[in-house]
Amino acid sequence: MAHAATHIIVGLKMIHPDLLHRLCHARDLLRDWEEEPLSISAVARASNLTRFHFIRIFKALFGETPHQYRVRAQIEKAQHLLVLTDSSITEICMAVGFSSHGSFSALFRRRVGMSPSEFQRRYRQASRSEPHLPTSLVPGCLSLMGGILETEQFSRRQAADETDSF
Amino acid sequence: MKIKLSSIMVDNQTAALAFYTDILGFKKAKDIPAGEFRWLTLVSPDGYPDVELVLEPNANPAAKAFQEAMFKQGIPLAAFEVDDIEAEAKRLKQHAVKFTTDPKQVGPVKLAIFSDTCGNLIQMYQPPQRG
Repeated sequence: MAHAATHIIVGLKMIHPDLLHRLCHARDLLRDWEEEPLSISAVARASNLTRFHFIRIFKALFGETPHQYRVRAQIEKAQHLLVLTDSSITEICMAVGFSSHGSFSALFRRRVGMSPSEFQRRYRQASRSEPHLPTSLVPGCLSLMGGILETEQFSRRQAADETDSF
Repeated sequence: MKIKLSSIMVDNQTAALAFYTDILGFKKAKDIPAGEFRWLTLVSPDGYPDVELVLEPNANPAAKAFQEAMFKQGIPLAAFEVDDIEAEAKRLKQHAVKFTTDPKQVGPVKLAIFSDTCGNLIQMYQPPQRG
């Protein structure tokens, strides 16, 4: 009885495995596409949900709307490509699904706090033999704890160096 | 050797801090900038004051693939104990928290699974009544 009652209240209904699966698949579709990015409505249709219901339930499950998720995924992918490949910024802009270089650069700057070219200069290793993401971008999780110490030691050392130079 | 830190990977540390404090009711213990990220830990006012949960930034593509696969399979990545699971589930649902498993009896415990909105499924459980 109690079980049936919870199902009447739509917003409180639990998400069944099949729906969970479809929403995870929708997340994959938003992030990876073949020719060009699918519209949110097309992804909703692929998930067998109305656009309204899709956006609502996606946000409740993943904490951001499908559009917000896609933009975040695009920026992340662009960050990785900037560090790991020799592609030009225009090529990377196209590869992550933007058609305009200007809007890509503006969005990148807003999200990351610097332009794509500044980002590339900062994080690309001098040695290109085996490109990898620097640990400052991909922290070893609990090693962040060590990162605090390292940063502190670094700034202390830097402070000492500066004092020495006087 | 002591069990002191446990961790969970999150998409966005700021959003995670809001969810884990405002909705789940944990309290921020440490919040220290560490490069691009933060060393961010929580304690549970109802639990052991010296055990901290670390909200780790999930920036590593390998970790992300693992987290997404576990989510898709419906597998929770952390478990928290509650005294009254029905009341907690009701409270969380009022905050629009999405459950993938409503409270149910599994052997001696009652458990439920919900999304933390940061890329993880979380299990909460009510242990059998003592005494």
